[in-house]
Amino acid sequence: MITRLRRYLPFATSGLQSLLQYRSMFAMTAVTAAAGAAVTVFLWRAVYEGTPGRGPGGFTVQDITTYLLVAQILQVLHTNRVDDEVAAEVYRGDVAVMLVRPVSYPVMRFFACLPVVGANAVLVGLPVLGLFAAIVPLTAPRPADLLLFTVSTALSVLLAFCVNLLTGMTGFLTTNTWGVRMVKQSVVAFFAGQLVPLALMPDPLATLARALPFRGMVDGPLTLLLGRYDGWADAAWLLAQQVAWAAGLSLLCAALWRAALGRLEVLGG
Amino acid sequence: MIVAERLVKEFRLAEREPGLLGSLRTLFTREYRVVRAVDDVSFEIPAGTKTAYIGANGAGKSTTIKMLTGIMTPTSGRCLVAGLEPYRHRQRNARAIGVVFGQRSQLWWDLSVPDSFRILRRIYDIPEPVYRRNLTLFRDLLDIDALGTTPVRQLSLGQRMRAEIAASLLHDPAVLFWDEPTIGLDMVLKDAVRQLVNRAHRELGTTVVLTSHDIADIAAICDDALVVDHGRVVHQGTLTDLLRTADHRSVVFDHRDGTAPETARQRIEAGLPGVRATPDDRGRIRVDYPTGRYTSREVLAFLLDRFDLADWYAPEPGLEDVLRKIYGRSRTPGTAHEGAA
Repeated sequence: MITRLRRYLPFATSGLQSLLQYRSMFAMTAVTAAAGAAVTVFLWRAVYEGTPGRGPGGFTVQDITTYLLVAQILQVLHTNRVDDEVAAEVYRGDVAVMLVRPVSYPVMRFFACLPVVGANAVLVGLPVLGLFAAIVPLTAPRPADLLLFTVSTALSVLLAFCVNLLTGMTGFLTTNTWGVRMVKQSVVAFFAGQLVPLALMPDPLATLARALPFRGMVDGPLTLLLGRYDGWADAAWLLAQQVAWAAGLSLLCAALWRAALGRLEVLGG
Repeated sequence: MIVAERLVKEFRLAEREPGLLGSLRTLFTREYRVVRAVDDVSFEIPAGTKTAYIGANGAGKSTTIKMLTGIMTPTSGRCLVAGLEPYRHRQRNARAIGVVFGQRSQLWWDLSVPDSFRILRRIYDIPEPVYRRNLTLFRDLLDIDALGTTPVRQLSLGQRMRAEIAASLLHDPAVLFWDEPTIGLDMVLKDAVRQLVNRAHRELGTTVVLTSHDIADIAAICDDALVVDHGRVVHQGTLTDLLRTADHRSVVFDHRDGTAPETARQRIEAGLPGVRATPDDRGRIRVDYPTGRYTSREVLAFLLDRFDLADWYAPEPGLEDVLRKIYGRSRTPGTAHEGAA
């Protein structure tokens, strides 16, 4: 198993090598992320400014600021390009040449996206976090919560990979995956709690959001970071849900990929 | 080594609608047109041969290669490569084969060629001595070092093809599938490629399957030809035998005796009835003769006798001509479409 996985490491290192050739791209992503965070952060701060202490959903001003800022950064971590690249390779037929290699395509894609996630964290996430920490007060997490958040974030990266791989695989069904990707982006942004925390959603909507896998991408990690859970059992339950969704979606990806390959049609070249 | 049994591959082409709404709609309702790219093809290629797979109309050369390499699953029928059905055991089959698709790059677009090779070495677990030996070979024959640290996307077509060919040979595969591999290669490199293949063939017993539209490419690499037309093998044997079936051959010559082109043309066509002479605007004359009526010796003897020849050569017959004759035996050509080049 380990030796088999080691075969995939070159995809991660080569991905990093490729990425480093496009440095200006990270600057652009950082500017976009910072601008996006600024809009939501200052809008929501205006809402909470009038209420002293805890406002709607039990958030303080610092809490909601931290939530929205970190949510924006998580979204950057989840932009792993797997959806566009898989979709493009599938409908252009370039997936054919990947299939002559003795490796599993989805596993290869996962390893190839790791450097994208890492580079986004270091080159976009940290600078944006630093910038906002300097201009607005943030909630400092407890060390234990920070640890839980780290584990949860790692799981959220896996969830984002699966969601994006499934989105990319719509390339088997339609050549114009742009529309599908736009829909996915909106659905994820909303149900993950990136735009509005789940705690602020009206009840039926919040219940629905909690039942979906997207919750584990933003609201889950942030619930842990801000310590908004009832004891260890509740924290463990949140993580367990993420693990279960990650496992379920991985299996779904594997099954759908297998089925799609059986029906693969590559015309031309 | 390679067996195809009643291989069929059909494509369903979706009729698409434009725009965002249209693209969403195609998720739910779609209309299809069925195209049969490979139509009931059966053949067998023995181990250790260098075979040109010459696709006729409806044979779907590239599609067949994609089934033999495990990329696509046949609609019906089956194929075997070294005893395995490639699409059922894709990863296992992939270790034993080397592939070049002339029209698609399989190198890492943003990486240099040496970096790509390092990745391939890890993926295929290539032992150090094999890797070193092959790199030395590619250095000598394909001048791989000249490609340097340039990212693949910035290489010229010829440079890229050199790298692709080397990449397909790096792990000493038992079978090589080359689909239009020599696009963009000049004569010197075609010769180098032939040397590489011959070496692999001699030392490792590599089986080579090549598809190409260009007879010069085919002749540069292959000894054998497999011509499939509408599912049937219409020719299997040496390439030389295939070319012998051409019903027209040509001689092209230059002369020094100052005869006007039109006079020369008339003189040839009068002296050799049934022959067509075509002068070009620089005084060079092409003589096409039917192989049934004249031997090349008769044509040359005639030309040597009547003209002061400065230069002459006899080009290989065009593949089109040869194939037209073979297909012509059973039916009129051009009734079906070849799905993809």
